[in-house]
Amino acid sequence: MSESNILLKIEGLHARVEDKEILKGVDLTIRKGEIHAVMGPNGAGKSTLSAVLAGKPNFTVTEGAVTFMGKDLLKMTPEERSWAGIFLSFQYPVEIPGVTITSFMKTAVNARRQSEGKESLKAGEFLKLMKEKMAFVQMKPEFSKREVNVGFSGGEKKRNEIFQMAMLDPVLSILDETDSGLDVDALRIVANGVNALHTPEKSAIIITHYQRLLEYIVPDVVHVLKNGRIVRTAGKELVAEIEEKGYDSIN
Amino acid sequence: MPVTAVAAGESLNRSIVIGREDPGDCLLHVVMAADSHLDLSVIVLPGASSRVNLRVDMEGPGAEAYISGIYLCPGAEEVSIRTDVNHKVPHCVSRQLFKGIAGGTAKTDFYGKIVVAQDAQKTEAYQENHNLLISDSARMDTRPQLEIYADDVKCSHGATVGRLNEDEQFYMRSRGIPESEAMTLQMLSFISPVIGHIPDIQTRENVSRIAEQAIRSFREV
Repeated sequence: MSESNILLKIEGLHARVEDKEILKGVDLTIRKGEIHAVMGPNGAGKSTLSAVLAGKPNFTVTEGAVTFMGKDLLKMTPEERSWAGIFLSFQYPVEIPGVTITSFMKTAVNARRQSEGKESLKAGEFLKLMKEKMAFVQMKPEFSKREVNVGFSGGEKKRNEIFQMAMLDPVLSILDETDSGLDVDALRIVANGVNALHTPEKSAIIITHYQRLLEYIVPDVVHVLKNGRIVRTAGKELVAEIEEKGYDSIN
Repeated sequence: MPVTAVAAGESLNRSIVIGREDPGDCLLHVVMAADSHLDLSVIVLPGASSRVNLRVDMEGPGAEAYISGIYLCPGAEEVSIRTDVNHKVPHCVSRQLFKGIAGGTAKTDFYGKIVVAQDAQKTEAYQENHNLLISDSARMDTRPQLEIYADDVKCSHGATVGRLNEDEQFYMRSRGIPESEAMTLQMLSFISPVIGHIPDIQTRENVSRIAEQAIRSFREV
């Protein structure tokens, strides 16, 4: 494959939180259209990887480089990364009391349009978009008036993440343990949403501990992350091997 | 201090906005008769150093008072708020909610006193004061004072001084909301319970618009 197909390139990435080194040299290349699964035991550094890619403060990159669509990702602020097309679905979506979903999404969508030199969406256009994407994740109309994630069930929070993903239409989606805390119905809604948003131009990183979600969203490439490094990369058959033998046997 | 009387069964709604143009002291003493209602809010805008002194005496049973305020101090303001709520007779209700934001080198002080007399049984008296510190050089003090001499009452107070939540900020920024806009949304949501309560729609909309402008002025600090 040619270099021009490369969407994200991570080279020798080392990162730490406070004084603890968590990522110890991660290499990962994602091409347009690919779905990658990053699997691994608890504490391997999976969530740190997603936090570093999204630009979370307090996560310090000590070595290595990350290039996204030819640009130095590590120099970009979290909002610039979002405008460039990166979306992180949070493992623990944050509650924002006093801010409604509508005002949250309107601010986000229009900030992105502004970064592209476009005018804000007209009220009618915005509401139409909201309605369409809410239906997409089976959210009831009153959802738009609720405060962001406040009083949401686990399933609603994750559906809200996929709703936001649909609204922002990212190029690279990072789903951090999106399957945790979901019942089968919610899992199916989330997975169908992710699959429906997938195009040959778009890529995704599915971070998960279990194979459950990968039965619905089939990855092209599977990586095992252990102790801050990717120790094995293979096709989707690796998922079955992990399920059968556990992470201990993969080194 | 000028005295305002609210007669039996009457209602008084008042919103006082203290701006840069007319800073200074705001002194108000309200005396409430039986079954009267009071809804009083005070908004202190950026650039206004002032002393706010509100005294409410509940002198007739069944009186109900809602006393609220916002103080927005992004610069070098010095704002002092003092409330005195005196429950002198039984069966009255008072609720206080004050919220402040301070940046720059501003100094704010909230002193809220509730006195429930021995005869004022079945009193309900609540007081909340919450403060948001935006800069390390600002200072916010809060001093709730409750003196309760009756034994069959419901009284509570809550006082906090905190900072903007960083997890909320990162969540919003990860959706493409710029940092300054994220802070604005957080500050607006912080004061919204006070504004949302203002009874008169016209006043509420005016205050809401003025407060939003004021909050956007915290950005440049």
